[in-house]
Amino acid sequence: MDEFQEILQDFLIESFELLEQLDQDLVELETNPEDLELLNRIFRVAHTIKGASSFLNFDVLTHLTHHMEDVLNKARHGELSLTSDIMDVVLESIDLMKAILFNVRDNGNDSGVEVDACVARLDVISTGGDIAAAEPAAAEPTPEPVAEVPVEPEEEMNYDDMSEDDIEAEIMRLLNEKQEEDKAKRKAKIAAGEEVPMMPGMEEAAASEAEPTPEPTPEPEAAPVAPPPPPPPPAAVAKPKTEPKAAAPAAKRAPTTVEQTIRVDVKRLDHLMNLIGELVLGKNRLIKINDDVEERYEGEEFLEELNQVVSIVSLVTTDLQIAVMKTRMLPIGKVFNKFPRMIRDLSRELGKKIELEISGEETELDKSIVEEIGDPLVHIIRNSCDHGVESIEDRLASGKSETGVIALKAYNEGNHIVIQITDDGKGLDTDMLKNKSLEKGIITEKEADTMSDKEAFALIFKPGFSTAAQVTNVSGRGVGMDVVKTNIEKLNGIIDIESEVGVGTTIKLKIPLTLAIIQALLVGVQEEYYAIPLASVLETVRISKDEIYTVENRSVMRLREEVLALVHIGDIFEVERVFDSSEHAYVVVLGLAESKIGLIVDSLVGQEEIVIKSLGEYLKGIEGIAGATIRGDGGVTLIVDVAALMHMAKTVKSTISAEVEASSEANVEKTKASDYVVMVVDDSKTDRTIMRTSLRELGITLVEATDGQEALNILKQGEYRFDAMLIDIEMPRMDGYTLATEIKKYNKYKNLPLIAVTSRAGKSDRMRGVESGMIEYITKPYSPDYLRNVVSRNIKFKAELAS
Amino acid sequence: MSGKLQDIINKQNTLHNSEDQLEDIVQLVGFIVGEEEYSIPILNIQEIIKPIDWTRVPQTPAYVLGVFNLRGSVIPLIDLRTRFGLTPRKHTDETRFIVMKNDDEVAGFVIDRLTEAIRLKKSDIGPAPETAFQDKSLIEGVGKQEDKILTILKVNKLLERDF
Repeated sequence: MDEFQEILQDFLIESFELLEQLDQDLVELETNPEDLELLNRIFRVAHTIKGASSFLNFDVLTHLTHHMEDVLNKARHGELSLTSDIMDVVLESIDLMKAILFNVRDNGNDSGVEVDACVARLDVISTGGDIAAAEPAAAEPTPEPVAEVPVEPEEEMNYDDMSEDDIEAEIMRLLNEKQEEDKAKRKAKIAAGEEVPMMPGMEEAAASEAEPTPEPTPEPEAAPVAPPPPPPPPAAVAKPKTEPKAAAPAAKRAPTTVEQTIRVDVKRLDHLMNLIGELVLGKNRLIKINDDVEERYEGEEFLEELNQVVSIVSLVTTDLQIAVMKTRMLPIGKVFNKFPRMIRDLSRELGKKIELEISGEETELDKSIVEEIGDPLVHIIRNSCDHGVESIEDRLASGKSETGVIALKAYNEGNHIVIQITDDGKGLDTDMLKNKSLEKGIITEKEADTMSDKEAFALIFKPGFSTAAQVTNVSGRGVGMDVVKTNIEKLNGIIDIESEVGVGTTIKLKIPLTLAIIQALLVGVQEEYYAIPLASVLETVRISKDEIYTVENRSVMRLREEVLALVHIGDIFEVERVFDSSEHAYVVVLGLAESKIGLIVDSLVGQEEIVIKSLGEYLKGIEGIAGATIRGDGGVTLIVDVAALMHMAKTVKSTISAEVEASSEANVEKTKASDYVVMVVDDSKTDRTIMRTSLRELGITLVEATDGQEALNILKQGEYRFDAMLIDIEMPRMDGYTLATEIKKYNKYKNLPLIAVTSRAGKSDRMRGVESGMIEYITKPYSPDYLRNVVSRNIKFKAELAS
Repeated sequence: MSGKLQDIINKQNTLHNSEDQLEDIVQLVGFIVGEEEYSIPILNIQEIIKPIDWTRVPQTPAYVLGVFNLRGSVIPLIDLRTRFGLTPRKHTDETRFIVMKNDDEVAGFVIDRLTEAIRLKKSDIGPAPETAFQDKSLIEGVGKQEDKILTILKVNKLLERDF
């Protein structure tokens, strides 16, 4: 049973690999129906699957593939020319074949898929009939197929009737076939994998030299045992080529000698990646310790050795990390492969002529990203077909060629991969986009007026937005582009749209290469640190506080030509802001998918390689936090979830401007004299009593402190909201000047009136007082009236409240 | 000679008997939070460490102090004083983090001080006092000792997120 399972697994893996190639080949075949090589390849796929499935007793699958094979065989021998209509049937049968294979994978059997209708149509084609006529005739199937099945013993093997020798021979044949496939697959892997840099060269060589060469019989097992290193040019030349795209498949059957690949369970690679993550953390730690040691034992001899070891370890760790990352990389061609077929179907469905140009399909990406990127691309391409490329008439009317071109391109850019989808269609009309959004209530009129072109383009990603006048099969429900946005956000990617009316649209997806170990920007707020994935950081700017404007309760700043919404990291993460002495702030400009935001932080610490660790079951799902990492000093730093942060920024109450208003607010709600609170700071009880007596008449609340330290503590506790403070200068523990300086460090006390009450009346004393932030200077002795006047002026006392 | 043999046999028998008794004994670790003594089963304790630095995590209740690094793992830190509704207090020399585990869940808990390891007969453990919110109760049972009563906590409840 287990053995059977194993064979089944191999069969499935092999079949799906074959199918991937098949789709592309079929579409190509339609444009080049004469291409024998292509036909042969497709025929072999059907044949291989048929052979294997009959072994595994998948009768339905065998039945279907058998009839496919008939049609393809005829086409191959020139007895049948492949028209679009015939292709439709062939493609349909391939879809059915896929459905059956999925069934086999999920349920272990091949039943549940209805193939008879399709088989009947295939039969009609293979017997030379007209499919149009076949539709109604399907009910009374032509007798031929029934007769045909038994007369083709070498195609539909009947093992019961075979002699033992025949079976032996058949097994040998199948084994050879299998080996052939294996070799081809290995070659394909090598071509797509390690030898990627060689590909362009091969393509050219192949494209230029091979075009006219007729197909030599592909006999890999007969190929001579060639030395491994220099095979490419001769190997590629032997294969006829239609276009560079087919480079990989062409290399597939090139001779190969040594076993070069093994299949590895993804789980093992994941585990390996986790271990590397730990190693990277260890490396960071080591570097940090090395720095500390260097500082402490400067000039010692052992330092040099330590330095060497640390550099070697960190170098090797980095290399190791890259090497393991590479093992997880897959060419993006795996995703791109399904699009030619999709475009073909769509263009037929929409009655447009669309050509797809693919380039850079050998660009590699982490496996997990490759899996996520498929859906967004499907939606973007559907959109380009439906809304981007115009109908044939419209195109001709606007002086374009009748065939629309959609170009799909992938390339590397630093630590990112960029996938670019360009169409030469009608482009995005910003006015139309704004009007549609207004109609659907997605934006307000005011927003529409102030919107830049880029912002208007981004409207297509809003859920519920659709420009299609009516919902078609293809698109128009207003969900697809939202899916694009969500998926790209999940990958920490960035979406950029450029469009010109009448010329076309380009959508760029910028995606980080890997997800597990990332570069991060470390930022500080008060005494806390946060790590922001560098993939989402567009730039950082230092601004002065008065460059921050408030528009409708939102903080914004002008960044070159754009208006950028701002949010303070402290507001998002509830950081208690005790002190804020700097006139400057740093703004980290974050970009994710199509949106941008400025995040205000207190300081920028630097860039570090971090490993994302989960916060565990107990703390999972905290909004705005993607995880944690361990820093070089052994501390834990939280990682910002940029997507969630952008979402939170919309609702979070901003305190950037509130800070300034806080003091004025305090004055508003005084309704009785005792609402006014003044602190008296003096070490002499007599002096305190004198002040208390002098101020009693006002009826305000007095709080006493005996020295600077105590005063500061009372202030910090925040029990009272002080309107003013009377401060003695000469005090134990902390004197008046120091106290004033300390108080002014706190942002929220910036406007708190501090009044010095002292017997030191020298000019320099007054100067010091002003420097430390005192605004009034009362010299002892003073008259009660004078004190009252100064105090009530400073607390803006309303006379009618006096008791 | 036979007397000696008898002695050994007797000794072995008593040992055997005490092993039997062992099965009915629960081993607990006692600690103080505020004024009261609590305990948890020793098998739920991964380790006990002296206080180390932690990192605050936003949007959590006050009793979640944050997360800390325990030899490469990021582990939540919960203050039992605040969890039990007491005012938080500065850490002293006696403050400890007890790292508790239950299945795969691990978290550190701040306690005021450790007392002792306690062996308690199962028969000396009574049920938790009836409360209105039996489901939410953190108390597994009450252990009776000669001179005092000991509250035994439910580790799985302590490790359960309730926000």
